[in-house]
Amino acid sequence: MAGGGELGGGGRQKRGKHSKRKTKKRVGFRIDMTPLVDITFLLLTFFMFVTTLTTPQIMDMAVPPETEDVEVAESKLFTIRVRGDGKIFYNQAKDAPQPIILKDLRNQSIKSNLDLKNELITVLKIDDNVNYETVVNILDELNLAEIKITQALQAEKLNRERKFTIAPLTDIDKEEIIGL
Amino acid sequence: MPKVKMKRTGFVIDMTPLVDITFLLLTFFMFTAKFKSDADNEQKFQIKRPKSAADTSKLPEKDVAVIKIALDSTKVADTAYYYSVSNPELWNLVKEDPSLSEWLTPARKELSKSQIKTIKVDELEALVKATRTQSKAFNAMKKSKAEQASLKFAVDADRRVRFKWIADVMEVMRRSRQTQFNFVTDKEQ
Repeated sequence: MAGGGELGGGGRQKRGKHSKRKTKKRVGFRIDMTPLVDITFLLLTFFMFVTTLTTPQIMDMAVPPETEDVEVAESKLFTIRVRGDGKIFYNQAKDAPQPIILKDLRNQSIKSNLDLKNELITVLKIDDNVNYETVVNILDELNLAEIKITQALQAEKLNRERKFTIAPLTDIDKEEIIGL
Repeated sequence: MPKVKMKRTGFVIDMTPLVDITFLLLTFFMFTAKFKSDADNEQKFQIKRPKSAADTSKLPEKDVAVIKIALDSTKVADTAYYYSVSNPELWNLVKEDPSLSEWLTPARKELSKSQIKTIKVDELEALVKATRTQSKAFNAMKKSKAEQASLKFAVDADRRVRFKWIADVMEVMRRSRQTQFNFVTDKEQ
């Protein structure tokens, strides 16, 4: 009795004989949804496992254009040097390099930058043998420091102009931090 | 015992709200699911990206030239550059660039459909320069401004590679006058 057209005709014929059927209405009929739910859950779990919500993110980087070297005052330099074994050293102006751990680098950068406002130039010098992971960690710390510096400068109605560069680690640099 | 336990035989739960929410989730995950592209299938390596603090800038899916620096899974010491451009049309133009014809032989092109593997820095530099010139020409062909897009450069390196590889790429960027580029990282959990 699945055919829609036939059902109508058949019903009319039977009306006279079985008048009781007329009152029977199909209200609140139920479909067994279990197979539907089964298959939907299966697909749902499949797509949940397949999908990757963590898309890679990007970190901005800039290299100075190929021009002649610019003379800068040494007193405004904040140098961070990374030795081949991953140890970090920092010094400001002509001070002797001091070892620093990664965790303290953020606070040191904030402190040094706020002393000289926008004048300070951060120079990062990295040994060729350092792992890329260490480099990104340092860049990340410096980027995080930037948030605090910008906030502090905005309180003084100043715009932050970041001066940052990555420079090659020369032999002179290496000698300065070799014994530390 | 006065109370006679009534047996609840054949009771029915209305599953409609359950089905509603399940379908909603299903469609959401179906639309967000991204499957591996041909380029991902072709490569033998997997890049373990360095982790950085959560940022809002995501790696764009198109108009980006990616320099991957990866360790081949078969040999740990075997590090190489893998160069690719996300737009297929532009990528084909780059590969046909006359400046590359010296070393990018048809045999090598056949080997590297989606990305070019190289260990030579000057080959990488030629690729970056060719991409920049082709990108400009490609944009000039487009009629409307809306269709034009500036190509971004991204360095997607494994966290275990030596900084020397990165420093070389930065030098390449500097010489190609591409002073802005990006490092690809993963979000710190």
